Amino acid sequence: MTSPGGAQTEPAPALEALLPSLVTWLPSQRWFAAKGREVSAVRILGHQDVTPPDASPAVVHVVIAVEFADGGPEDWFQLLLGSRPGLRGDLEHAVIGTLGDRTVYDGLADGEISRLLLSMIVSDTTVGSLRFVPEPGTEPPIVGPGRPLLGEQSNSSVIYGERAILKLFRRATPGLNPDLELHRALGREHSQEVAPLLGAIEGELAMAGEHADRGAGGTAPMTVAMLQDYASNSADGWSMALTSVRDLLAEGDLRPDEVGGDFAGEATRLGRTVAAVHTELARSLGTARLDADGVRAVADWMLARLDQAAEAVPEVAERRAAIAEVLEGVNSAASTGLLVHRVHGDLHLGQELRTPRGWLVIDFEGEPSRPLSDRVRPDSPLRDVAAMLRSFDYAAFHQLAEWEPGAESPGHLQRRAQEWADRNRAAFCDGYTEVTGSDPRADLAVLRAYELDKAVYEVLYETRNRPNWLAIPLRSMERLLQSP
Amino acid sequence: MNEGIGTGPASAPDTSTTGIALATREPAHHAEPPAEPSSDDFRSARSLPVEEGWYKRAVFYEVLVRAFADSNRDGFGDLRGLTDKLDYLAWLGVDCLWLPPFYDSPLRDGGYDIRDYRKVLGEFGTVEDFVEFLDQAHARGIRVITDLVMNHTSDQHMWFQESRRDPEGPYGDYYVWSDDDTRWSEARIIFVDTESSNWTYDSVRGQFYWHRFFAHQPDLNFDNPAVCESMIDALRFWLDLGIDGFRLDAVPYLFERDGTNGENLPETHAFLRRVRKVVEDEYPGRVLLAEANQWPADVVEYFGDAEVGGDECHMAFHFPLMPRIFMAVRRESRFPISEILAQTPSIPENAQWGIFLRNHDELTLEMVTDDERDYMYAEYAKDPRMKANIGIRRRLAPLLDNDRNQLELFTALLLSLPGSPVIYYGDEIGMGDNIWLGDRDGVRSPMQWTPDRNAGFSSCDPGRLNLPVVMDPVYGYQAVNVEAQSNSTASLLHWNRRMIEIRKQHPAFGLGDFHELGGSNSSVLAYVREFVDEEGTRDVVLCVNNMSRFPQPVELDLIAWKDWTPTELTGGVPFPAIGELPYLLTLPGHGFYWFSIHPAQERG
Repeated sequence: MTSPGGAQTEPAPALEALLPSLVTWLPSQRWFAAKGREVSAVRILGHQDVTPPDASPAVVHVVIAVEFADGGPEDWFQLLLGSRPGLRGDLEHAVIGTLGDRTVYDGLADGEISRLLLSMIVSDTTVGSLRFVPEPGTEPPIVGPGRPLLGEQSNSSVIYGERAILKLFRRATPGLNPDLELHRALGREHSQEVAPLLGAIEGELAMAGEHADRGAGGTAPMTVAMLQDYASNSADGWSMALTSVRDLLAEGDLRPDEVGGDFAGEATRLGRTVAAVHTELARSLGTARLDADGVRAVADWMLARLDQAAEAVPEVAERRAAIAEVLEGVNSAASTGLLVHRVHGDLHLGQELRTPRGWLVIDFEGEPSRPLSDRVRPDSPLRDVAAMLRSFDYAAFHQLAEWEPGAESPGHLQRRAQEWADRNRAAFCDGYTEVTGSDPRADLAVLRAYELDKAVYEVLYETRNRPNWLAIPLRSMERLLQSP
Repeated sequence: MNEGIGTGPASAPDTSTTGIALATREPAHHAEPPAEPSSDDFRSARSLPVEEGWYKRAVFYEVLVRAFADSNRDGFGDLRGLTDKLDYLAWLGVDCLWLPPFYDSPLRDGGYDIRDYRKVLGEFGTVEDFVEFLDQAHARGIRVITDLVMNHTSDQHMWFQESRRDPEGPYGDYYVWSDDDTRWSEARIIFVDTESSNWTYDSVRGQFYWHRFFAHQPDLNFDNPAVCESMIDALRFWLDLGIDGFRLDAVPYLFERDGTNGENLPETHAFLRRVRKVVEDEYPGRVLLAEANQWPADVVEYFGDAEVGGDECHMAFHFPLMPRIFMAVRRESRFPISEILAQTPSIPENAQWGIFLRNHDELTLEMVTDDERDYMYAEYAKDPRMKANIGIRRRLAPLLDNDRNQLELFTALLLSLPGSPVIYYGDEIGMGDNIWLGDRDGVRSPMQWTPDRNAGFSSCDPGRLNLPVVMDPVYGYQAVNVEAQSNSTASLLHWNRRMIEIRKQHPAFGLGDFHELGGSNSSVLAYVREFVDEEGTRDVVLCVNNMSRFPQPVELDLIAWKDWTPTELTGGVPFPAIGELPYLLTLPGHGFYWFSIHPAQERG
């Protein structure tokens, strides 16, 4: 566990008293990933006081393990708890429970606490195992209270006066979070394609023996939070793409290049942006070429994902052989070697923000469900390109699914959606090629393998989570199996 | 073109103090060059009180004298006709009229080819008519500015005729002459459709002369101090008569220097500072408006030194904003507008942008990328006749398919984005254009006053009209005219009048800061205009615009005004108070809202 700092008194037993409240509070939090699983118990893995525990407000950083009634693997989360002897009315919505005469609540809701966190980062403070570090060479934001950002999915953020955003990673994962790692690397390259990193809160996670499978024994570094420039006045690419598709579908007889809402210009700019990020990542963190064995390993990994999906989805099982053949296409890169470097790993239109100055790429955590060791492994940039191509398909056909849920869309609408996807996928690749000088479509077999791998994964995901959307990746899967 | 009608030598020449007739087409070979009239020869208009910064709150109205009202049945609009219509303009609520050039001219470039700076074009009337018009406008609280072309004159101007005839005479050095046509090849050719060089050979003088625009518009030589003096004296002539300012046409091109493109040179700025000083010292309260079709970052140079609040032009047109508004609505995305505003530098305290949706020129596409230009052509100029030079020549209503919702949205943007709005005559009633007329005349057809003969513009024989009235079934004068719209409070005209009135009630529109709010919906452009007066009173206006043709929700971060109440400005309906959570609004397709937001009223 974290070693208590000097200011530490005896809070551990007191904190334990909060556990029953956490069992009821956790499932109602948006970031709580295990929705639908019944929580059986919560344990405290470690804690670190940020302030003396009798301060008002007091702040403590806590790492918890959540156990489930289904006996499945537990989840680890981190909390920043605030407490006060009397409660301000505007914090009522954030209350978790009480400890003696103090009310305990989600600390990020409290402007005084978010102000404190920012001031500690700006002044480069260490408290026990927690290090509040400003990013060297950046201009610190003016210290003030933060305001919680609403509507987030997996993490929790506060915004400081449209200047900076502090993101608390809710999952507690041993190791340096790739989001922080890659933002640092891109910062060194003075990237214009990400919101500049301004600082971070880093801590340690004690690895008890029984959890040694989740990391090395002893303590592991852990990323608590990161502070970035806030991209005010931005909109995400997903909603903008949907706007464009909506415009097209409402036109009687115009092609995608003729309608006012044409997205191809943005898609080209997106291609340039992703290509620039790739160039910067390669420059900052290096590249390698996978030999035949390395490429074989990539193919094997894809085939393993295929088997997983085939078990659960009959449509995949029926086409297993044909899919495997396309996935094996990645081996065509064996003769020249497959260029790999660190990539985004979970790219889609929703991870891209349009600002008045251009596009920004956000959230470099990688696919959250995959283990960290997978997420930090260098991979072909074509994985990100393929993911974007998949995203354009989703944007094109999502509209049809949402418009009249359940109803079979007329064939002409399907064709128009396909035209939109084709036009914007091509525009994205054009923009990408402009920057890197190499067209991702040149390695068509490899690109197709990556795209199909992603589509198979999506089929599995939608089968489990969003059956209404299943038709989208299924359709793409068929198309990828047919086209040369 | 229009040359010759009513401009013959028979029109009574003004006489100068020396009694020599002006504007003789054939220069007398041995005579002294004629002297020019003085403002003392005329009475002056009554003056309006000097009001610092009036131009920052004003609504401008561009009116073509030729196209507005014809008082003498010759088929041309004239100054007396315009004077008769001042009550209408006062009723509409506009604060300042902008008149494109009304000077004596052979009219080979819509009057921008000035033959005599101190004489009114014959068919428009006389200097006396102008003074009467100005006096009547001032009586109604309406100011008047006009174009002044400093860069060049008509080749028929006495100065040019003297310059080519007598290189050693007083006007010999008034223009830019050269023995060859190779110098300053870096300067681009602006009218690429008609001109192949910026030099043209003159057989009389046996030299080439420099011209940045048409060959019949020789550039004046501002390196000659006498030219600077003559130009400033021409300004003084009209300022003495009472005019409220000038739109300075084509200002970036006054000087030429080796190794440059001849645009935005330091010498040009120095001359503008000199002009500004004359205005400040001798004619306080008058304005200079620069026409510099450049990127905003370059245009701000024409406001001059920000340290002293600006010491060149008071105003400058913001050219790239206009095509971006059109593009944003077609793309259903706020970003074309957000981008250009983010690239627009802050301006000196006493400076103001002029913004417009349409004017007498084409929809200028110089400021968009090639990519976007192709798109704009595809969207807005389906018929090749609608293109002129590198722009699109259409009026607002036909550009928007006569869609009332879009007309209102565009006008709401014009009246609320940072800058002083300039309305183009006829757009307030949704007039159409006539793409079959040549050059830019398609958007210069007669103002449509009534459903009667000649649209009420003139009682002449219809065949005598300078330009035909619009007669198509949608935009024709029988369907679209002031009289009919005056009688219906639901008309576009009444709507425009009401919006102008609302704008004038809130200083934030003209004087306030601009802060874009962003928001999760890229189809919604939302911004706050805020002005704090000397007493500390805050005027806060929230504008929310839906660029999409479909209904849209938007959540706005208004936490800075927590517990304040938005009141919708066209109807005065209070909306729910602003709380902790993002403020949710829903907008109909192409809808917009203007709110005043203010602290909750205390209840007794």
